[in-house]
Amino acid sequence: MVKSLISIFVTLALLAGLALFEGIYVDRQFTQFGTELETLIDKTEAETANVEDAKAVRESWESKKEHLHVWIPHNDISRIDYYMSETVRLIAEQNYSLALSKLEVLTHLTKCLPDTYLPALENIM
Amino acid sequence: MLLVTIRTAIIFIVLLVIMRLMGKRQIGEMQPFELVITLLIAELACIPMADVSIPLLYGIVAVVTIFVLHEIMTLLDLKIKPLKSLISGKPSVVINKNGIDDYQLKRNNLDVSDLIESLRSAGYFSLDSIDYALYEANGTFSALPKQDYEQTQNSLPLVIIDNGNYDSKNLAILGLGREYFDDLLAQKGIKNIKKVLVLTADGTGKIYLQVKNEKFQTFTVEYPGGKVW
Repeated sequence: MVKSLISIFVTLALLAGLALFEGIYVDRQFTQFGTELETLIDKTEAETANVEDAKAVRESWESKKEHLHVWIPHNDISRIDYYMSETVRLIAEQNYSLALSKLEVLTHLTKCLPDTYLPALENIM
Repeated sequence: MLLVTIRTAIIFIVLLVIMRLMGKRQIGEMQPFELVITLLIAELACIPMADVSIPLLYGIVAVVTIFVLHEIMTLLDLKIKPLKSLISGKPSVVINKNGIDDYQLKRNNLDVSDLIESLRSAGYFSLDSIDYALYEANGTFSALPKQDYEQTQNSLPLVIIDNGNYDSKNLAILGLGREYFDDLLAQKGIKNIKKVLVLTADGTGKIYLQVKNEKFQTFTVEYPGGKVW
């Protein structure tokens, strides 16, 4: 019985620790990426953003997503990849208004995605 | 392809460890909750194995959670008696000294044919060859035979009436019409066939008759023309 109780508590503690780490880590990665996106949005609105700025944000995302693959479904990551690639191209062509709409989608995804992994009722159901 | 192979190997190792931790009972006779867990584990393990868009961790965490639930259920099952019957169920005595317990059969969604099939699988061909029979909580069938049960098993009994209905296939094997058994029942004071829970007849003319909510009776008859099969 003692062995069973220990295994239950140890495993529960491991699962809880893992869940806590996942929550903090995923949220931190998306918050950082969100901040970078905000800077890019400001520059795009001022029409001063260039392809290097956009590529720098994409590279930052690429390094984050390597680890995010462990924690979140890969399809969610692909959605951000898709809009990020479009944004880089649109900024390179100086199509700022269209780039802003793509950045808007990215900002929205960055804010919403971490919430979809939280143990909230709407996510459980 | 290599990705799926690696993911499958990881899931396999995790499952193997979990199944070993769950103990031998999980592999052999399972309680209802253990069966549920086994079914779930198989499904949970397959999804991240085949779908590479789902993090492997999702599958592993789900399997580990199932392991924790299994440990909790096993503890409750072993340590708290009232919960044991709630979680795992309890044995149902379906045959006693009075014959078949129709109520217990119905409670377990079984009928007389299922019971007779279980008896045959256990090596008992005649309903009157056993004193007690029960379905264990894990679904296995146990029977306590009468002391001289081997002497009662010298011919294969056929079910003629099962829960108030004639079995025409067995009547054809026996080569006797319904009228013969209607007369037989009338002689025993039974006018409505629907009251009969079971009537079996074997090749030596031994009849096992049980009316619903009554004790069974056995008697021997002589078939017309000295019929045997």
